[in-house]
Amino acid sequence: MKKKKGMNLLQKQSRAGWLFLAPASLMIAVMSFWPMISAFITSLKTGSSANMKWSEPIFYNYTRMFSDQLFLRSVGNTFLYLAIQVPIMLVLAILLAQLLNNKDLKFKGFFRTCVFLPCATALVSYSLIFKSLFATEGLINSILVNLHILSENYNFLGNPVSAKAVIIIALIWRWTGYNMVFYLAGLQNIEYSVYEAAKIDGANGWNTFWKITVPLLKPTIIMTFIMSINGTLQLFDESVNLTNGGPANSTITMSHYIYNNTFGTGVANFGYATAMAFFVFIMVGILAFINMKVGDTRD
Amino acid sequence: MKKRLISMLLAGTMALSLTACGGNGGASDGGNSAAGGDENTLVVYAWDPSFNIPAIQAAAEAYKEKNPDFVLDLREQSGSGDIETAITTAASSGKYDSLPDIVLFQDHWIHQYVSDYPDAWQDVNDADIKWDDFSAEKLDYSTIDGVHYGVPVDGGTVITAYRVDLLEQCGYTIDDLTGISWDQFIEIGKVVKEKTGKYLMCMDGDGNDLIYLMLQAEGVSQFKDGKPYITENETLKRVVQTIVDMAKEGVLLLTNSWSDYTDKAIQGDQVAGVMNGNWIIPTIEKVEANSGKWEITSMPTLDGGKEGYASNGGASLYITANCKNTELAKDFLAYTFGGGEGATATYDNALKNGGVVSTYIPAGQSEVYNEGVEYFNNTPIYADIAEMGTHVQIIEQSSYHYTCRTQLAAAIVNIINGGNMDEELKNAEDQLNFEMGN
Repeated sequence: MKKKKGMNLLQKQSRAGWLFLAPASLMIAVMSFWPMISAFITSLKTGSSANMKWSEPIFYNYTRMFSDQLFLRSVGNTFLYLAIQVPIMLVLAILLAQLLNNKDLKFKGFFRTCVFLPCATALVSYSLIFKSLFATEGLINSILVNLHILSENYNFLGNPVSAKAVIIIALIWRWTGYNMVFYLAGLQNIEYSVYEAAKIDGANGWNTFWKITVPLLKPTIIMTFIMSINGTLQLFDESVNLTNGGPANSTITMSHYIYNNTFGTGVANFGYATAMAFFVFIMVGILAFINMKVGDTRD
Repeated sequence: MKKRLISMLLAGTMALSLTACGGNGGASDGGNSAAGGDENTLVVYAWDPSFNIPAIQAAAEAYKEKNPDFVLDLREQSGSGDIETAITTAASSGKYDSLPDIVLFQDHWIHQYVSDYPDAWQDVNDADIKWDDFSAEKLDYSTIDGVHYGVPVDGGTVITAYRVDLLEQCGYTIDDLTGISWDQFIEIGKVVKEKTGKYLMCMDGDGNDLIYLMLQAEGVSQFKDGKPYITENETLKRVVQTIVDMAKEGVLLLTNSWSDYTDKAIQGDQVAGVMNGNWIIPTIEKVEANSGKWEITSMPTLDGGKEGYASNGGASLYITANCKNTELAKDFLAYTFGGGEGATATYDNALKNGGVVSTYIPAGQSEVYNEGVEYFNNTPIYADIAEMGTHVQIIEQSSYHYTCRTQLAAAIVNIINGGNMDEELKNAEDQLNFEMGN
């Protein structure tokens, strides 16, 4: 008998698998990886955007950013937001999740919706709302003046310190509910019997929280941390719409500065802007890596 | 099962409608690139329906006298920024076919655009335009190395508008504020603030044009031989000091953003004075309750004893590389804005419908320009503006105008918040040099 040529069943299955994967892989390669490579090439070039030349030395755009005071300030601002906003937000989120996870709480659904609702607002519109709230003639000023906390209207967005504070407050308002949802899901995966056992052993609320809730939530906490770091490093809408980076660039973020170098101020400095974007990309990667290493519980 | 069916139907409808949106977008883009398809059609981009769009429409009407088949396809953009983005995108990719035939943008950009994208523009040197009849300062923007690129539409001649009723309460007339020095201005401003609670001057602190305007009134630029001229520039230092003093004394209101400047400061009735390009007039006029209470004059100067004149902004029409009907475009521009037979009709209607004041000097002699304007106490402000426009001094322009403005605006905010002037100006100059690659 002649041996049948062709593939056996396993090979056939494997071929079918690759065939199914191919369209998606191709799409990712064309839509995502190719632009990345092409952006990297752009980041090695300088000159007017219509006529770009290889820069000399080749990494000029990368070395240049470290002597750019404005870029360094935008990095500083972004990390300031990160250092202040992320911890406050995550602590608040975990507390809210804990409160709303209470079995005896009435109208749970209503409260959860309320806390989550800010996430349903578009970034631009909530930024604009915060801008008008904190305007010199805005609601916050009227309230504070009428309560005699302030003697006259204060220009919150005109002072470097208070403008940063407004951005942080806005960020906390917008993102706490989002993170709370993850914690809530995490909390619901914790067996109630574990808490009961702790109660029988005489653990108080504080101990239960630190010894049971936090360790069991650890994977969720790490995930929210990585997502928040990533999100904050790419912060853009708030900086553009709430303060426009002002006053005097004191609230500008990295992404906003990158945008200003392309379309924002019409300078069309694409080479330099992509180089900065790669710098942000590397930073996000490093931070996420550290985070994962620190949070890794496997031996 | 039923649920699944419904959800699939819904998802399907959504996907379909989204594709439909995309399809529509594609179709209109397709129409766009056909800019030069028809011999008698010109596609023009402009952005302000209450200002420059009526002006261009007036020109189209006027040109129909000569060429009845002419069609102007005027595509309104939501702001000048959209036009700048469209130009940057098209020119960077080298695909000019997404550009219209003619585009309107602010004159400060043209230096940068010509140096960055030299192939994106067609010059108008050989168009039949009466160049000598335009204010020299205006033409200086759009002329690069002796080549004319643009046809002026509106001038940016600076007006200083005051609320004469408030001045009167404080014992002043508009003549007391004409030809004075900035120091005198501050003294008057303090009195006005004390008696009426209003600021005598306002500006957007983020896009602060005051430095440029006050310097131009002195005939000095922020640039010298293509390099920033800041720390060595004694006039600039005096100007900055004056601005800081004004802000600290409560004479000058620096707002956080442009919209705060127009909506809150000017239309919110917080000010007794406005100084900017005359395109700010429609904004002032929006407060109907103050009709008849405003008048305009020239600018104060550092030393006083003479009147200050400056120009800020103003736009011109530029023919792009995508225009195939170049002769038609040139003829249209020459016949209307360029001082041809349709110029009077164009400029008169542009003024009536949009408040656009031309820099074409003969336009100022027309009747429309010399009528009293009710809002400004029946004074003939447009003739005054046209006259003031002829006095503006030419100063060095730069591709980095807006970069410089951003840096100096930041420096001023920092100085007002307690920074050291020399240090802040040094920082601004360093950053500007950095961005210019010096």
